[in-house]
Amino acid sequence: MQYQTADSWGFYVPMRSRNMEDPLERVAKLASESAVVIFTLSGCCMCHAVKRLFCGMGVNPTVYELDHDPRGKEIERALMRLLGSSSAVPAVFIGGKLIGSMDRVMASHINGSLVPLLKEAGALWL
Amino acid sequence: MASHTIGETSLSDSGPSNHHHHHHVPYAAALHGMNTHTSFINQEGSAFDFGELEEAIVLHGVKIRNDEAKAPLFTAAGRPAATLEMFPSWPMRFQQTPRGSSKSGGESTDSGSALNTLSSKAETQLEPESPISKKASSSDHQAFEQDQLRLQHQQQVEMSNDTSRTGPSQNQSAAKQPQEKRKGAGSTSDKPQDAKTLRRLAQNREAARKSRLRKKAYVQQLESSRIKLTQLEQELQRARSQGLFLGGCSATAGNISSAAAMFDMEYARWLEDDLRHMSELRAGLNAHLSDGDLRIIVDGYISHYDEIFRLKGVAAKSDVLHLTTGMWTTAAERCFLWMGGFKPSDLIKMLISQLDPLTEQQVMGIYSLQHSSQQAEEALSQGLEQLQQSLIETIAGGPAIDGMQQMVVALGKLANLEGFVRQADNLRQQTLHRLRHILTVRQAARCFLVIGEYYGRLRALSSLWASRPRETVICDQENSCQTTTDLQMVQSSQHHHHFANY
Repeated sequence: MQYQTADSWGFYVPMRSRNMEDPLERVAKLASESAVVIFTLSGCCMCHAVKRLFCGMGVNPTVYELDHDPRGKEIERALMRLLGSSSAVPAVFIGGKLIGSMDRVMASHINGSLVPLLKEAGALWL
Repeated sequence: MASHTIGETSLSDSGPSNHHHHHHVPYAAALHGMNTHTSFINQEGSAFDFGELEEAIVLHGVKIRNDEAKAPLFTAAGRPAATLEMFPSWPMRFQQTPRGSSKSGGESTDSGSALNTLSSKAETQLEPESPISKKASSSDHQAFEQDQLRLQHQQQVEMSNDTSRTGPSQNQSAAKQPQEKRKGAGSTSDKPQDAKTLRRLAQNREAARKSRLRKKAYVQQLESSRIKLTQLEQELQRARSQGLFLGGCSATAGNISSAAAMFDMEYARWLEDDLRHMSELRAGLNAHLSDGDLRIIVDGYISHYDEIFRLKGVAAKSDVLHLTTGMWTTAAERCFLWMGGFKPSDLIKMLISQLDPLTEQQVMGIYSLQHSSQQAEEALSQGLEQLQQSLIETIAGGPAIDGMQQMVVALGKLANLEGFVRQADNLRQQTLHRLRHILTVRQAARCFLVIGEYYGRLRALSSLWASRPRETVICDQENSCQTTTDLQMVQSSQHHHHFANY
């Protein structure tokens, strides 16, 4: 299981004027850079569960731990707005599109729509 | 008079402080017994014979139980039986009283002068064969008796007011008549003949009165038990509303939160609804309803399950540990408990064999459902494991952790449990909805019936398990013993209706 840590993000960010970017835009940008993107907090156990779910399916998600980002709080708030929930994490994007939190991911897996989505995004090869 | 004095002494004993009575053994046992009996007889105020004695003792016993105050006069081992043995001879003794007494009897037969009626009735008994009479045939006894009766009159009136007995007074008046008549007959010369007849009649009356009194005593006991029951129910209601723990389900006898108690009640109601839904399903299938009609019933069953998941969500917010420890469900179900409920993949595994016939596509769908639910369960379990690990680290604490801070952190982590139970319930709900989607209406109806019956059997198994005969029942600690019994009672009362189907 591999996933990018905050280091790579930290590495990525200085190339842009990060302070000018709207958090939502940053989220969108980050989400489109990998097939499966998950925003987490390091202590969050549900985030761990979501990670395990994807890894169990053979998917390698890109994980961003918001508590290791200097502007993580903003992103958290943006995610809360996007999700319409009081908890920002875990937030799952597949193919650049927001899927939702753990409940939406599980629901889509149960009703059989998750696997096609993953295949479409190139995260799963049969 | 010596006897008089002693009579008074024992009288005072047998009056307000009955429990002292047995300490005083004035003369012979006969006399003591006599004292006892007369008080009862006066209480009755009716014919002084075996039946009256019996009924007085029975009622007095009932009254004492109701008062919960004193030990009955005849608590000495075997005393009641012994005194009962004495009854047949009891009336006979009085027959030897001098004629003078009968006059006093005659004077006061009008209203409720129990005292004099008693003595008059006593006099009219004609049987010279009493062993007691041989012992105590002195007129002293008679006088003493009457004094005692007089002094006890107050007490009797009180007692008869306490326990409203219209029966005995009726008996009294009814018995009075024959007694009155017999009073005249008693003075005839052919005593042996009359004595035998009278004795037989008296014994018949006794028997009748005995059974009437027993019935009355029983009814009185029932009444008092009923009152006690309503009181207990009110207490229970009050305590429940205050969120106290009653008839508990845990050996540690901890408190159950009000949210948990409320959920338990709602769950019990849900179980009743479940039975109703199942019988609807069964009836719908047997009646070969159209798909449209059956769909309504099936969708109703799905909503029924949606409801319990909603209720569990509410309960999880206040008391998630109640759900995860499975205290809301039966012991057998607890065996298979996963994150506060059933494991979806286990359910599907159970269903696969029961759902034949299925199309190939349906079979694929079911297997795929089983597979994805297994993956989701695995993910949630691993997430929970991490939570537990984190909690262990927090509780164990590091070298420089402040106790209060540690607890606050631990509480925060424990609160995450709610999220996992919510997700698990979400998974269960999604699985049921997916099943509904894969199957036809009829198949879905059969499927849900199978599910309902399966869990019904599991609950029945739990009840049977709880009530199976065991050798080791009593343990050292009273508390845990009591709660074990209560648990069984609670469980069997909760789930006894599941036997209705078997």
